[in-house]
Amino acid sequence: MANAMRTRSTVMERREARTAWLFTLPALVLLVAFLVVPFLLAIGLSFTDQRLIPNPRLPTEFVGLRNFQRILHDPVFLRALLNNFVFAGVVVPVQSALALVMAMLVNQKIRATNIFRTIYFSPVVTTMVVVSAIWFLLYNPTQGFINQFLHAVTFGLTGTIDWLQDPHTALLAIMILSIWQGAGFQMVIFLAGLQEIPQTLYEAARIDGANRWQSFRHITLTGLRNTTVFVIISTSILAFRLYDQVKVMTNGGPLNATQTVVYQIERVGFGQLKVGYASALTVVFFLIVLSITLLQRRLLPEERNV
Amino acid sequence: MKRTFAMFVAVLVALVLAGSAAAQSDVTVWFHSGKGPERDTLNAQVKDFNAQQSQYHVVAEQLPEGTYNDQVQAGALAGKLPCLLDFDGPNIYNYVWSGFLQPIDRYVSSDLKADFLPSIIAQGTYNGKLYSLGTFDSGLAIYGNKKMLEEAGVRIPTTIADAWTLSEFEDALAKLTALPDVKYALDLKFNYGQGEWFTYGFSPILQSFGGDLIDRNGYQNADPLVSQASIDAMTHFQSWFKNGWTTATPAGDGDFAVNKVAALSWVGHWAYNDYKKALGNDLVLIPMPNFGKGPKTGMGSWNWGITKTCSNPDGAWAFLNYLIQPDQILRMTDANGAVPARKSALAKSTLYGTNGPLNLFVRQLQQIAVPRPQTPAYPVITQAFAQAVANIAAGADVKTELQKAADKIDQDIKDNKGYPN
Amino acid sequence: MRQLRRVSGTFGNYLLLIAFAAFFLFPVVIMIVSSLKPDDQLIIRDLATPMAFVPSVVSLKNYRDVFANLPFGLAMRNSLVIVGSIVIVGLFVNSMAAYALARMRFRGRAAVVGVVVALMIIPFESISVPLLLMVNRVGWLDTLYVQIIPFVADAFSIFLFYQFFINLPRDIEEAAVVDGASRWRIYWSILLPLSRPVMATASILLFLRYWGQLLWPVMVARSTEVRPLPLAMQQFFGQQPREWGQIMAFAAMITVPVLIVYLIFNRWFVQSIASSGVKG
Repeated sequence: MANAMRTRSTVMERREARTAWLFTLPALVLLVAFLVVPFLLAIGLSFTDQRLIPNPRLPTEFVGLRNFQRILHDPVFLRALLNNFVFAGVVVPVQSALALVMAMLVNQKIRATNIFRTIYFSPVVTTMVVVSAIWFLLYNPTQGFINQFLHAVTFGLTGTIDWLQDPHTALLAIMILSIWQGAGFQMVIFLAGLQEIPQTLYEAARIDGANRWQSFRHITLTGLRNTTVFVIISTSILAFRLYDQVKVMTNGGPLNATQTVVYQIERVGFGQLKVGYASALTVVFFLIVLSITLLQRRLLPEERNV
Repeated sequence: MKRTFAMFVAVLVALVLAGSAAAQSDVTVWFHSGKGPERDTLNAQVKDFNAQQSQYHVVAEQLPEGTYNDQVQAGALAGKLPCLLDFDGPNIYNYVWSGFLQPIDRYVSSDLKADFLPSIIAQGTYNGKLYSLGTFDSGLAIYGNKKMLEEAGVRIPTTIADAWTLSEFEDALAKLTALPDVKYALDLKFNYGQGEWFTYGFSPILQSFGGDLIDRNGYQNADPLVSQASIDAMTHFQSWFKNGWTTATPAGDGDFAVNKVAALSWVGHWAYNDYKKALGNDLVLIPMPNFGKGPKTGMGSWNWGITKTCSNPDGAWAFLNYLIQPDQILRMTDANGAVPARKSALAKSTLYGTNGPLNLFVRQLQQIAVPRPQTPAYPVITQAFAQAVANIAAGADVKTELQKAADKIDQDIKDNKGYPN
Repeated sequence: MRQLRRVSGTFGNYLLLIAFAAFFLFPVVIMIVSSLKPDDQLIIRDLATPMAFVPSVVSLKNYRDVFANLPFGLAMRNSLVIVGSIVIVGLFVNSMAAYALARMRFRGRAAVVGVVVALMIIPFESISVPLLLMVNRVGWLDTLYVQIIPFVADAFSIFLFYQFFINLPRDIEEAAVVDGASRWRIYWSILLPLSRPVMATASILLFLRYWGQLLWPVMVARSTEVRPLPLAMQQFFGQQPREWGQIMAFAAMITVPVLIVYLIFNRWFVQSIASSGVKG
């Protein structure tokens, strides 16, 4: 009897496994074909001197770890990596905090919040290439809107900031633009999280005599824990992929102040035609971002409700 | 009834078209879709060529200019190049070296060759063979605001022989910057952004100082880039920024002609129409300065090459040969304002002819033009140099930046085993 | 007193809301206003002044020029076909996989989930060259589907659906299982309708990502017939000086339709995210 049960359950398990694979097959096949295989190819190429345009007189050669050794001493890569970290280190917390404030503002029961939601979200739906082209004009030191505005509100105290050409401000300029473009999206996610928090919790807290800060700290932030984890991890991944803004606005300059790893990978592969080296950069970059993601997951445990 | 008739006609037309297409041999062509008039002219030329003869049928595809090079590279990588295509200046050498293009010497008689500007022939030549021809060339010089120059008491040179010397040039920059209406003397078109313009526009400074981007004898090292002459050149270049004589962030394109806050504009022939419209008779054209080893100018523009995989090179040549007829060249240069590539066409050009206002560009191209390095390493050279220019303009140490660029170039040459032929 | 405080509080709130609105809106307004000014130099000059927000001249010249210079309608059609196909086919492929990963027991499940999460990190820019070599080998270049198929399966979308499914109470399907419904039936008639919010979220995310994609079309799309909008726009980024008027007009034409669609679905969209797995 027990034996029969077990056989039946293994048959069912096997059937379920087969169904499961059938369900996952289309996605898996596509992911393997268009993501995993090219990535493995990139790993393979990273040990060669593959050129973008193949040459009959100079066939691709295996160069061992040469590309990786060069990466260690490549000042552009090291700077790019540093920039990616600075960018993520600033943009992730600032953008998340801003998004949370915006979410709380538009979550109030007052009129017209819907309009404001739409406005805050509008930068998200403009494509990055377009957005970067517009901000490029806005950042112009003498004719750009931003300096003129700062001049007007500070009565000329700000001077002429050469946003995109000054190594001290170029990355900051890109950060501002990125926060501007991305905050609306995080806002919507936080908004969704806020609407899940039962109003009764706030009422109970008020009865208990909690002040606004306390209820924000203990109810809102706690309630948004999973949301925050999600926002932080996904924004970090996006921050490390930074590319479009740099491509349109600064080309990595001035003085490599806005170099990023993905931009460098694209330039080395397409501009300098060195696919081998670009592939090695890809591999190193992947490992770095993977470890950051794993680290974040460890440091920011989600509350699992399953 | 009406419908049946229409169908009948449509079928008939289709049959006729199919029949004629089969009799002709197709020639596939790619070209960059530039600004309006240039693109319209080429489209009209394709149409006229197809109409005036029945042997070949040109099938042309325009690719967006902003990503043209990348698209051609992807096409080469995929082995999917057309019969005939145009290349932006010195990108051609890497394609030749990689075996994508075929020599066209057999089509080009010595008479024809002699009629072209020497700069066009130099640009199309790699390893002793001719691979490409352009229908027009570009020119680099300095436009000046005559009123400002006179106000500052600066001499205005008109011929290559009496070009400004270094001290004269820098003196002029200082005097012009001091004028009340002038924010900075020299517009270097940094609004074009870091890219090919930096190499095109500023490597002549190196060369006029006696330096260069690469050792042109065999193209095996970038030693000239770190020579004292190159360091001097870029140190002076940097001082123009430090002294406020020029800026790395002009307000768009209009500082010289529209806003009139710059007195000189260091730019190519292509700015002429806009400048002339804005400044009228105040516009003067000034030859490139002589920084010690004679004045030098940039050159090079779009040029046409025939691919090795082309099954119909005669057809490709037939179309190219049509494009380089003097009247067709003029048709194009009238549209885009560029320098006609052939002397026989130049003679008929109102702008560039002997008495034309832009004849200086032609004289410069004939006497002092330096082609960009004719080596497959060019993509790396131009990227490395453009990066150095950007950094130097932003205040970085000149010697370090040039050394970094030279190292990048040397390493690339070494990685490719000297680009053997 | 309390009344006063509430009024001033609301007033402060609106002040803040409006300040944020100004910050988020001004570049978009500048884009639209500039696109109506027929003279590029005027656009640049006005940018330094409040005139940047004033359509001092209203002309459709830039728009006419865009249409005269390139087949805008064709590019729009291509973009819609490409992005539409990615979104619609992707929704099914990704949600099916996520359902199996979240709800079925099989060996290798945890490993697959781990791989999916890891795959979210790979930036497309870095695998584009090997991918180009691959699609060229099979002769896919210069087609619409080469711009669709590689992006149908999406690790991030799978992850979204997975989060949603795994948080659904199990009893929803257990009743169906007892009734003898097949997995497919459960997926199709119970889970898929339930997951509408995630579908909306995933669609919007995928749409936004591929609507602006440039690098891949540069590599694989040559002829006008298959060229999407961002690639067509590159026609304005060649010769200097830039034709800002036309760039702004083009930008407005690819942005405003998306904004309008968002405006229509705005309320629904926030709700959808609220009940989708995105929030964590």
